[in-house]
Amino acid sequence: MSLAEERPRARDRAQAVATRVHVDPAAPPAAPTYQGLVTRTIAFALDCAVINLVAIAVGLAVGLASSVLDLPSGAEKGLVAIGGVAWFLWSAGYFVVCWSTTGQTPGDRLLHIRVRKADADRPLSAWRSFLRLVYLTLAAIPLFAGFLPILFDDRRRGLHDMLAGSVVVGTDPA
Amino acid sequence: MVALRPVVGAARLGGRAIEGATLATVDAVLDSRVATEIADRVVDSALVRHALSRALAGPLVDEIAREVVRHRVLERTTDTVLSGDALDAIVERALEAGVVERAAARVLDGPELERVLIAALDSAAMERLVSRTIDSRLVDEAVAQLLESEELWVVVEEIAQSPAVTDAITQQSMGFADQVADGVRFRSRNADAWLERAARRALRRPPAELPPETGEP
Repeated sequence: MSLAEERPRARDRAQAVATRVHVDPAAPPAAPTYQGLVTRTIAFALDCAVINLVAIAVGLAVGLASSVLDLPSGAEKGLVAIGGVAWFLWSAGYFVVCWSTTGQTPGDRLLHIRVRKADADRPLSAWRSFLRLVYLTLAAIPLFAGFLPILFDDRRRGLHDMLAGSVVVGTDPA
Repeated sequence: MVALRPVVGAARLGGRAIEGATLATVDAVLDSRVATEIADRVVDSALVRHALSRALAGPLVDEIAREVVRHRVLERTTDTVLSGDALDAIVERALEAGVVERAAARVLDGPELERVLIAALDSAAMERLVSRTIDSRLVDEAVAQLLESEELWVVVEEIAQSPAVTDAITQQSMGFADQVADGVRFRSRNADAWLERAARRALRRPPAELPPETGEP
């Protein structure tokens, strides 16, 4: 057998040995650690801080620019309306993109938690992420009563989680 | 002188006849059963043993040894053995009989090999040999071939991805902010558990069966 034919076989053997060393086939999959109200609130607060800091920075930049420019009187109201829409898009986009891609916002990442589907270890789709954001807003309207099920549900799900079919789990090994 | 020629010729002829008859007689005697019996008895006799013992105790052996050396008997015998097929046959038979395996097992099991290796490793010659080997082009070539092998990089990749190495890197790169975040995570999870216990107690519900929390950050 030539050296060229020998090498892939040696590589396969090395890979098999490495798999055997690092992966225990008999080990059961780790149980998810569902995250509670305090942890999720801190992560959400951090995300709100990020969103608002960016929004404030952009608002300041636009305000400075508009103060230099000689805008007509009606334009100021238009800028405020555009700013409101932009803030809404930015906020919604922030959560939808993070939840539907990695399942983690920056706040979630700092707290080592992740949003995923309740029935599968995969991130939510973009549409379901958007729905979760809507449900989250609805859950906050009645004096945050929609979040109380987190304290009692076995999987620590809030109303928005139940409606969107999501759970929040930890990323640290159990 | 001419007159003596027939006499000389007759004498020579007679001598040859006597010589032939004598040799024939000796051959007949040597081939006879009686001669064999006599030889056996002589060899088995105490006289021969005594004579042999005296000969071996005396200077005869030394003399024989000197003569063997002087006439290069050993060298000639060795040359004869090496040039013939006898040596090949002997080697072949030894190999078939498993002599090499037994000898190797004996050497590997015995303390001699260990002693030899220890002595060799402690010797100055070995140090010089190692030094020359390291300085030689052989090591450079070996290193170059090793770096070109895919197996090495598979091993390196596996080591780099091993939990021990990643944990070590994580520990090294963890800064103050990470330590603060770890503290926040730990306390927030404890607060989760405490808040849920309090809520369930208030509503008189049994405590939830949740996975154990991780340890100190």
